[in-house]
Amino acid sequence: MGATLSGMSALVVGAGGLGGPAALALAAGGVGRLVVVDEDEVEISNLNRQPLFGDADLGERKAAAAARRIALLHPGVRVEGRDQRFGPDVAEDLVRGCDVLVDASDNFATRFLANDVALAARRPLVHGAVLRHTAQFLTVMPGKTGCLRCLFEAPPAEGTVPACAQAGVLGALAGFAGALMGAEALRLLHGERGAYAGRLVAFDARTGRSRLVPLRVRASCPSCSAVAASTSPGER
Amino acid sequence: MALTEAEVARYARQLILPGMGEASQEAFRSARVRVTGGGLAAAPAVYYLAAAGIGTLWIDEPDEVSPGSGAGFALGPADLGRPRGAALAAFARAANALVTADVFRPGSRPTAVLVCGSSSDVSRAIADEARLLRTPHVVADVDGQGGAVTTVPVDAPCYACAARPGLGAAPTQEGGATVGALAAMELLLLLSGASSEPVARRIEVFRGTPLVRATSRQPGCACAGPAAAGLAP
Amino acid sequence: MTGTPLPAARIDVRPHACPVTWVKARIALSRLATGQVLEVLLADGEPRENVPRSAEEDGHRVLRLEAAPEEGPGTWRAWLERGPEPEERAWP
Repeated sequence: MGATLSGMSALVVGAGGLGGPAALALAAGGVGRLVVVDEDEVEISNLNRQPLFGDADLGERKAAAAARRIALLHPGVRVEGRDQRFGPDVAEDLVRGCDVLVDASDNFATRFLANDVALAARRPLVHGAVLRHTAQFLTVMPGKTGCLRCLFEAPPAEGTVPACAQAGVLGALAGFAGALMGAEALRLLHGERGAYAGRLVAFDARTGRSRLVPLRVRASCPSCSAVAASTSPGER
Repeated sequence: MALTEAEVARYARQLILPGMGEASQEAFRSARVRVTGGGLAAAPAVYYLAAAGIGTLWIDEPDEVSPGSGAGFALGPADLGRPRGAALAAFARAANALVTADVFRPGSRPTAVLVCGSSSDVSRAIADEARLLRTPHVVADVDGQGGAVTTVPVDAPCYACAARPGLGAAPTQEGGATVGALAAMELLLLLSGASSEPVARRIEVFRGTPLVRATSRQPGCACAGPAAAGLAP
Repeated sequence: MTGTPLPAARIDVRPHACPVTWVKARIALSRLATGQVLEVLLADGEPRENVPRSAEEDGHRVLRLEAAPEEGPGTWRAWLERGPEPEERAWP
């Protein structure tokens, strides 16, 4: 540590319960440029866990409100709020423009897109999610570790997992997870090994226990195979 | 008193958690929590307690906001030099208009204490005071990028019994946010009544991975009460 | 004669959107005893799909889910039987 991150940039997908604290950690850690993508507006049921927003922001676009809040707290950071969906049309450009991608989204389609684009652009990805009392983390180092598709192959069919708004979330657990994701991204930007690189870490708030699942590159993983194919022999 | 429409809408996502519901939200609303100690975990902890609907927050942080005081989660350069307690109380009110947040006034009786000590000695003194008043408390110790959170329900093994030496690394903002949010989570779980038997435990977070231990009493510690200390009749 | 008990309580969540629809139903269920029935009036679409599903995930039983045009256009009626105390109450 100690090296400055002022020349580094980070992309955070989602400005909510995970993305908010992750972005704040990155800003406090001195990242030079911070891009936050969110297509939603601030709703009342967000306010139990999204530290970038308060009552005064109700009804506002999240991207704008998040950028304003981060800039107020950390004027030294160049913050860009992108009021758009992190979709296939924009994802790759956004990811190529940054040194690390933090996936703080709330749906499987976006998570798998973030995974695939991070691999294609060869950018490290910090994935995190919370559901009810559980938080999970995985860092994907393209060409080195397994990825989300090595673990799950494909997004679960719609309806088999609760739509996020129907599932309970413990706000402080999301805050804990988001801060850990920000800390992980800072480690990667400093050139240190990620704590979740090559292993899925799942934390259960009720038991307090963490489960660690080692993750290897699955030979048949389409996303990882594409990365391997694009790697020059010298790089391997 | 039943939850209002405004409360149901705001706390919707925690009201549908297994083990939580109307009763736990009412418990949050009637709780009075003192946050104290001068450490980096205080600002994020205040946020998550306020956002969850802890009805009364008393912030006991007499120092002024300084660049190194963990301002970055809740307070910015515009707050530098303000008394930290008042600034954090204003932040909590802006985060949730339904809660009351103010600076702590001596003599006020909290129902729980969140100890965010700037050092383990500071935490130890405050935790002992809470124990003697039979007030449940949670202690947040920031250590580098992580730290430890100790949950001390009434009559549980005390903080001094549970504490273990950490890395002793300089606290970071992300460590403060990690441990502050985790401490708020522990206090909320404790106050929610979701557990029939309050959980006395310590969660340590180093290199991003939480590890939990049940806490146990050190032989002869005063927290065992007069019987264990040999003072019983 | 179906043996189904009549609803002990009734709520109308048609004015609300997700997630408040399910929150209201869950709070109403928590006030009932195991085996008692809650009648919920729902809007068609997302609430009709998600509220009964969430109730089942939470350990309650969906006894009926039917269109109830007599209550208003596009209205659906669900009868939810309060399940046992959720197992999450027994913590480690």
